[in-house]
Amino acid sequence: MRKDALARLLSTLLPDAVRQDLFEPSLQDLYEESARTGRGTVFASIGLFLECWRLAPSEVFAMFTHDVRHALRLLVREPGFTVAAILTLALGVGANVTVFALVNAALLRPLPYPDADRLLVLEHRDRRTGITKPFIAIGDFVDLRARQRSFESLAAFGTGPSTVFTGEEPFDIFVLQATPDLLGLLRTPASLGRALTADDARERAAPVVMLGYEVWRQRFGADASVIGRSIKVDTLMRQVVGVAAPGFRFPANARTDAIVPMAVPPEAPSERKSGWTFAVGRLAPDSSADRARDELTTISRQMEREHPDQNDGSEYFAVTVRDAVMGETGRALVLLLAAVGLVMLIACVNVATLLVARAVGRRQETAVRIALGAARWRLVAQWLTESLVLAAVAGSVGILFARWAIPVLVRMVPVSTGLPELARIGIDRVVLAFTVGLMGLTTLVFGLAPALSIRAHHAADALVSPGRVTSATSARRASSALVVIETALAIVLLTGAGLVLRSFSRLLAVDPGFRMDRVLTIDISLPSDRYSEEPSRTAFYARVFEGLRQLAGVEAAGGAIVMPLTGNNWTGPFDRADRPVPAGQRPPDVGWQAATGGYFSTLQIPLRAGRLFNPGDRPGGPAVVIISDAVRERFFAGEDPIGHKVRTGSGEAEIVGVVGNIRRAALTDQPRADMYFPIEQGAPPGMTLVIRTADDPLRSVAAIRTLLRGIEPQIAVRDIQTLDAIARESVQILRLALWLLGVFACAALALAAVGIYGVMSHSVRQRTREIGMRVALGASASNIVWLVMREGVVVAGLGAALGLAAGIGTARSLDALLYGTSPSDPLTLASAVVVLFAVALLACYIPARRAIRLDPVTALAAQ
Amino acid sequence: MAGSRIPRLTHQQFLVLGLLKEREQPGRVLRQAIAAHGVKRSAPAFYQLMARLERDRLVDGWYEQITTGDQAVTERRYRIRPPGAKLWAEARDFYTTLIARAEEGWSDA
Repeated sequence: MRKDALARLLSTLLPDAVRQDLFEPSLQDLYEESARTGRGTVFASIGLFLECWRLAPSEVFAMFTHDVRHALRLLVREPGFTVAAILTLALGVGANVTVFALVNAALLRPLPYPDADRLLVLEHRDRRTGITKPFIAIGDFVDLRARQRSFESLAAFGTGPSTVFTGEEPFDIFVLQATPDLLGLLRTPASLGRALTADDARERAAPVVMLGYEVWRQRFGADASVIGRSIKVDTLMRQVVGVAAPGFRFPANARTDAIVPMAVPPEAPSERKSGWTFAVGRLAPDSSADRARDELTTISRQMEREHPDQNDGSEYFAVTVRDAVMGETGRALVLLLAAVGLVMLIACVNVATLLVARAVGRRQETAVRIALGAARWRLVAQWLTESLVLAAVAGSVGILFARWAIPVLVRMVPVSTGLPELARIGIDRVVLAFTVGLMGLTTLVFGLAPALSIRAHHAADALVSPGRVTSATSARRASSALVVIETALAIVLLTGAGLVLRSFSRLLAVDPGFRMDRVLTIDISLPSDRYSEEPSRTAFYARVFEGLRQLAGVEAAGGAIVMPLTGNNWTGPFDRADRPVPAGQRPPDVGWQAATGGYFSTLQIPLRAGRLFNPGDRPGGPAVVIISDAVRERFFAGEDPIGHKVRTGSGEAEIVGVVGNIRRAALTDQPRADMYFPIEQGAPPGMTLVIRTADDPLRSVAAIRTLLRGIEPQIAVRDIQTLDAIARESVQILRLALWLLGVFACAALALAAVGIYGVMSHSVRQRTREIGMRVALGASASNIVWLVMREGVVVAGLGAALGLAAGIGTARSLDALLYGTSPSDPLTLASAVVVLFAVALLACYIPARRAIRLDPVTALAAQ
Repeated sequence: MAGSRIPRLTHQQFLVLGLLKEREQPGRVLRQAIAAHGVKRSAPAFYQLMARLERDRLVDGWYEQITTGDQAVTERRYRIRPPGAKLWAEARDFYTTLIARAEEGWSDA
């Protein structure tokens, strides 16, 4: 009996497996019963249909588990394919998960403040020099805070190291100094005692401190009675009034061991830029970041008009707290994630070519199953399940790889990148969800191509003539197309890695204008109670430099406020006394530094004219300055600057020397105009000592520390490192990017080579008879080699062309990482193509060699 | 000890394989036979049971055309496969051993 139309319609609405296994036999039983009893089938068919749908979920799941078992059996049966595919994918997954774990911690994990996206940090840009600073002039802060309406409040803050003296061993802490409204603005109440209040920041208020939670636990044994006790922080006795919340830190990438109040003048000082502070604000409930930025621009313009002599070119803008912490590192991380994503794509394409080749090998099986009535989608589902199993196994191996790789990567991330949560990078729920998503996507990308290559008519061909391979031509074309894509992606990565390599080599070749080898740097700060008067500080430094000069192994010693290559961009106004800037106009800015004469000789910054600072430059004596070559070129073209005077805040200073230009903020910085003030004429309470030694400078650390403690037992000595290490740290992010991009590019190249090799080997196997016939007809070995390699060259050529176009397009996004290298650098692009072609030709040559060794008789007999 | 392992077959599978052990049968007849043992299942649920036995390669299933009255219809027929027979025998041994030991009062348990 033929099925009636209703049953046909209903059966089309069921999943294939349910239709075949449940509905069809049940329907046949229904028809048999109907034939015997004469009962109608309409309602019973509908009943069967509904019952089948009730059973469908468990049935589909059973099919899935069956397919999984089948896939596992296949994987075990083909260990060569399995190992190659799993390793390829596992490396891709592992690399992606590793980089994603970093991105997750740095960019996705919420910052430890409620509604952190409404917190904005204020930054300053000087339109005239193009220099951006992450802090704000104190006078401008006072006016901005009074005039703005976009923020609920604006808080000023700064951070720095301090030492706590508790009677036992003194210990170093990291202190956040902030206006008392900061904690309220961050919405983080005290966990014990009270938070800072406005009264704490008033003039002559009793000095107080809030302890960080971890310091309270580790150093004070979580003793609640610490509230009310006084502790000595640096030189000041401060009463502990509270303990911050567990885990509290601000900024997010810093350590906050203690919080002390910062006072801001109620009125803007006449010298508006006499001090600088960091500033953060929380957006008012009815405001937005865009509105706040607009308002900051408006107020900046107002201040420019009101104070043109100090604010001309000064612009304030706001960035999110996360952007302020991350800066360019965030963009670099996203780029790395994109690069590692390309590697994953290449791995997928490679496995897809393996699967397509395997699909050709399984044509017989597919043909038999189609002939037995298996629907195409059922086969597609099974293929996809096989891919999913492969992806799941590879994903698990990849996670293991990532567990090993994450700590390695974390060790390579430079501290200066300011990545928050660096210590807590690992495989958490978000990373696991990413991995599962990645594996799902991977399954679709590499599983769909072979699955869709199943064609009913191909299957029929396979059954009619199982020995012929003509129907596999489309699979070969599919493989070739995949290899073209793979090659193009490899070119993109090679180009990226090549550009970063060029930048890095250029950066290493840069002359910073000073010598970095064998120089030790040490931050020192004096206890302010005993060194409140400048003569005492001057005398202290004189003893230190005298002692250092007598120390064995020390060749030169000096000191400065701003350490080179630490990103510091301090500037000050430059105004010639004989040609002053007209009243009401702001003088141009040049780099600002305070240094001793020994600083120049230690760093071997060349003296071009005049003299360096010397002990004769005493406080109260004639004020002197040294300028750099760039200042001479800019302000004294054709003149001798020595003897000229420049205006300073407090008067005039005579130019006594001209020194060479240096790259002060970073190696990527252009040599800029700098002006140096003598520490000899204004000894600060702390500075960075620079000491050149005859051999490894770290060997002299103990002796130098003993010398300093001998002169002043309570001196704080911190951040002892070599200038070489500072320089290395300053280019570490580029080194990391280079290392990762290099690894990714090599992996891409290797995968592309394997892909090309696979396609060529497959091609040679398919053309065995043709090659045999050509050899029999007298084709030479070179003819055969070219015959085989031509195909590979075409594939690599197409891939290279596509890759070049894509590479030029994507290289622009690398701009932030490049130094002295154009994103479309022809040498790099050409090198990428040459490297790829060399590898591609090698990958083609091996199958070509195999082809010329074919015995024509055997080849012609081959089916 | 032989027959001491928990059988991998469910009671219904044990019943169906036991019925098929004697001879191949159409699904319709099998369904009626298990119903006589109190296992009443809808046709789709019964064929789901059979499909899983097929997928586990414990039975073979195929369609055959028969004539009912004056009409030609097809029916699904089943035959037990050697792995199915082996599993059924293992399950039978298990229950036999269990019964014997229960009757002996679990003396050597």
